[in-house]
Amino acid sequence: MATFELYRRSTIGMCLTETLDEMVQNGTLSPELAIQVLVQFDKSMTEALETQVKSKVSIKGHLHTYRFCDNVWTFILQDALFKNEDSQENVGRVKIVACDSKLLSQ
Amino acid sequence: MAASTTSQVYIDVIEDVMVKVRDEFTNNGGPGEEVLRELQAIWESKMIQAGAVLGPIERSSGANKPTPGGPITPVHDLNVPYEGTEEYETPTAEILFPPTPLQTPIQTPLPGTGDTPTYNIPTGPSDYPSSGNDTAGGNADVKGGRPGTYMQPPSPWINQRPPLDVNVAYVEGREEADRGASNQPMTQDFFTMPGGKRKRNDLPPQYDAGGYIPQQDGSGDAASGNFEIEVCGGGISINSQHTSFKGKMPADLERLASRIPQLDGPIPYEDDVLSTPNIYNYGGVYSEDYNIANTPAPPEVPASTPALVAQNEVANEDDDDEPPLNENDDDDMDDLDQGDDQNTHHLVLAQFDKVTRTKSRWKCTLKDGIMHINNKDILFNKATGEFDF
Repeated sequence: MATFELYRRSTIGMCLTETLDEMVQNGTLSPELAIQVLVQFDKSMTEALETQVKSKVSIKGHLHTYRFCDNVWTFILQDALFKNEDSQENVGRVKIVACDSKLLSQ
Repeated sequence: MAASTTSQVYIDVIEDVMVKVRDEFTNNGGPGEEVLRELQAIWESKMIQAGAVLGPIERSSGANKPTPGGPITPVHDLNVPYEGTEEYETPTAEILFPPTPLQTPIQTPLPGTGDTPTYNIPTGPSDYPSSGNDTAGGNADVKGGRPGTYMQPPSPWINQRPPLDVNVAYVEGREEADRGASNQPMTQDFFTMPGGKRKRNDLPPQYDAGGYIPQQDGSGDAASGNFEIEVCGGGISINSQHTSFKGKMPADLERLASRIPQLDGPIPYEDDVLSTPNIYNYGGVYSEDYNIANTPAPPEVPASTPALVAQNEVANEDDDDEPPLNENDDDDMDDLDQGDDQNTHHLVLAQFDKVTRTKSRWKCTLKDGIMHINNKDILFNKATGEFDF
């Protein structure tokens, strides 16, 4: 199963990465095993998003920067408005990083 | 609402990872179940700290908690030694052993004549490189032991170095040196030296000689300045250790001195170039044309001098421009990256299904995303975006 390393940059991914870094530096964990854990995280996170999350969000804003490189879209929005079912958030500047969903299904 | 569901999804993900990785930990000589539980405990505690997981929700963590408490603290310790702990420790130890200075003067004369007896001095230098290259932890250990015996003044320098080293390793040495911070320049010198070698073949020999030999001699010089102050404290027993430290101190001073040349480097080079145009011909990778022009010039030295100067200046400009360019490029990149990170605390990670544009109007459909916005984590299954460019 193909996975993205994309979600490692999320809060949960960063927390895991930090934890693994510390344990590898400690010597309690081998780097190889740490990578295996990260790969498993990629899979589990992707799967959880597909199966457990049902919410829908709309995003509006001024597109400050767009970039498409290596099948990854990067948008930097200014004055963006995020709306979902139960809340909406206003953000002065937000970065959106999106990988091609078709790569996962291949 | 969103927060709670996000928290639940995160917990499930953690649990899922733990379950699926368990075999790797328990089989084939893996670290074992204990380490896996430690991993989960630290991970969850970090998530709680980050506010991404609601604390009370931990179901399985209850059993783990005792273990996590232990592992977590060690982790912090590891980080702490880098900067904080060492610094504090070193000064105290040094304070305890002011006498060292006396020894330094004695040793200072030695370095010139008999280096072998002054083995301590060599150790000093060895420590430096290690500190620069190695992880702070390694340095901390070394320093922690020795610094205690040393004087106060040296310790602060040394302590400051390790953190600086980490940054300096790749960073532009010159700019920092310009700042004038004594500590930074020293560390920078070490690293800059190699860089200087790469850039210009001529310089490296000077620096090398200056780096090592001068350190010993420098200790003498520095010692002379320090002697008066140091004389007050008298602890001969610790001499060997002190010597090593003093060696470091002088080395630093010398390095400072050496720094100046580095900074001035470009100018000295120009002088050298003027006096010996040939050097440039060989060294100038960038200006092969110049080499051709120069080759005839050397014989005519006096008459050609003006012409050479002009050429040299051009060549120098190239050289000067390039190192700064590289450094600046790095800086710019760093600045940009930092700027991005700083300005975009808000981040959306997702997969895109489709991105379209009509004139300046962009539309995209995203799926399976994690948003971190206004310090909240929000997950979405689908998202539609409409942006004006």
